[in-house]
Amino acid sequence: MTRVVVPIGPQHPALKEPLNFRVIADGERIVELELNLSYSHRGIEKAAEQRDFIRALPLIERVCGICSHSHSTVFSMGIEEIMGVEVPPRAQYIRTVIAELERMHSHMLWLGVAAHEVGFNTLFMWTWRDREAVLDTLEELSGNRIHYNMNEIGGVRVDLSPPQVDAALARIPVLEERMRAYVAMLEDEETMLARFRGVGTLSREDALRYGAVGPTGRGSGVDYDVRRDDPYLVYDEIPWNVVTDTDGDVYGRTKVRIGEIKESLGIVRYCLEHLPDGPIRVAAPKAAPPGEIYSRYEAPRGEVAHFIRTNGTDRVERVDIRTPTLANWTSVVYSLVGRPLADIPVIVAAIDPCLSCTSRITVLNRGEDARGETSPYTGQAGWFP
Amino acid sequence: MTVLSEMLRNLVSRPATTLYPAEKVPVPAGFRGRVECDDERCIGCSKCSLVCPASAITMVDSPREVEFRGKTMMRKKKPRVAVYRCIRCGLCERHCPADAIHLRSVLSITGTDREEVLA
Ligand code: SF4
Ligand code: SF4
Repeated sequence: MTRVVVPIGPQHPALKEPLNFRVIADGERIVELELNLSYSHRGIEKAAEQRDFIRALPLIERVCGICSHSHSTVFSMGIEEIMGVEVPPRAQYIRTVIAELERMHSHMLWLGVAAHEVGFNTLFMWTWRDREAVLDTLEELSGNRIHYNMNEIGGVRVDLSPPQVDAALARIPVLEERMRAYVAMLEDEETMLARFRGVGTLSREDALRYGAVGPTGRGSGVDYDVRRDDPYLVYDEIPWNVVTDTDGDVYGRTKVRIGEIKESLGIVRYCLEHLPDGPIRVAAPKAAPPGEIYSRYEAPRGEVAHFIRTNGTDRVERVDIRTPTLANWTSVVYSLVGRPLADIPVIVAAIDPCLSCTSRITVLNRGEDARGETSPYTGQAGWFP
Repeated sequence: MTVLSEMLRNLVSRPATTLYPAEKVPVPAGFRGRVECDDERCIGCSKCSLVCPASAITMVDSPREVEFRGKTMMRKKKPRVAVYRCIRCGLCERHCPADAIHLRSVLSITGTDREEVLA
């Protein structure tokens, strides 16, 4: 059997961010896959240790350009728990509204990207057009489309005014209508079904074994969502459902994400209609007592966790960020084996990878006692973040 | 079928894009744009420069008399914002005790003032 090594990335038209696959292919089929991450390590964790909590939050928010609110919320929740600060209900509701709007725009972005990866650019244009409505809402509520900077330790930075709430509520029926159209398209658009169904299949057992999180896990029938299983903010007070699917392929993950957009629309509507009165923040102390916390949050891509250690000063001693993409990579490598090369873009896109956020560790020592193992095919050392 | 009907609907509806520059994108109230300091109100406390995560604010000498909470006081410095270093996070506005520094609804992503761009 002739085996060919196909290098894909770090710069490649199908990839939106730097990532390198060393694909060992037998003809069109993928036999083995090596994955190299961490081309865009930015040192955010170290930089966060150098500044006080107030100045660290905008930095933490910039871990990701899509789930910015996720990172700043999980960080603030951790610090607030260490400090023993109780965030007022109005602030909790505002945080939830922003969090769900963020989930909506992230999933709509994903739907467009996935459609683009299978060559269905029409849908890509449509979803991104509709996503603008969500981004406009976020801009009106927070002053910016992407980096909302709504959080601060002890509450939120700005309040929502009644006209803002009304404008946001007015957009929801339009978006609901659009979501119904996408569900109908998903069900009967043959070109899309042909590229989504049965592609990148991951059974429930494998999803659990490889630790898949978020819509990747839920699309394989793993009924787990941090919002329900370890509730934070106001998720235990409001009506909503966890969306799961048993297909386990790209199609299943698509159905989960569209279902989640619908749930998010319901959550946003409920929160805006039931926004409690009261203060939007409490005065938090400058310094946090010594402590350790593992703060968890359901970001659009899955569970994001921040391990935070404080030492009695106004800055963290250590913050370790585990992004959902890192948890999902193993399942990608697994589900690509045996598939044709042309499936790489869509299977990779199906976990909604966010690479810069994932870049954490780079193994520098590639000498004899380095962890890198030698590939039997390429004879080169791989380095595994 | 849904795709086809969507296509037909789009064919007769108006374009989703804005015809810039003939048409301007509406900027919502509360948009975080260019940072400006109100010289009349600033008491020179340096709080904005301390909280700025991008270290975009430096305090420069600017002695003058200002009113603060009904009292007249002498300030020594005022902030100077490097607009192109600023990430428009809004922390200066949030922490200013004199309500002197604000993010205006003016875009600040391009400019021709060499000093300002390089600052
Ligand atoms: S925080 Fe306000 S009052 Fe203090 S120096 Fe800055 S602009 Fe002036
Ligand atoms: S908006 Fe943020 S980055 Fe810009 S000057 Fe104010 S504190 Fe600094």
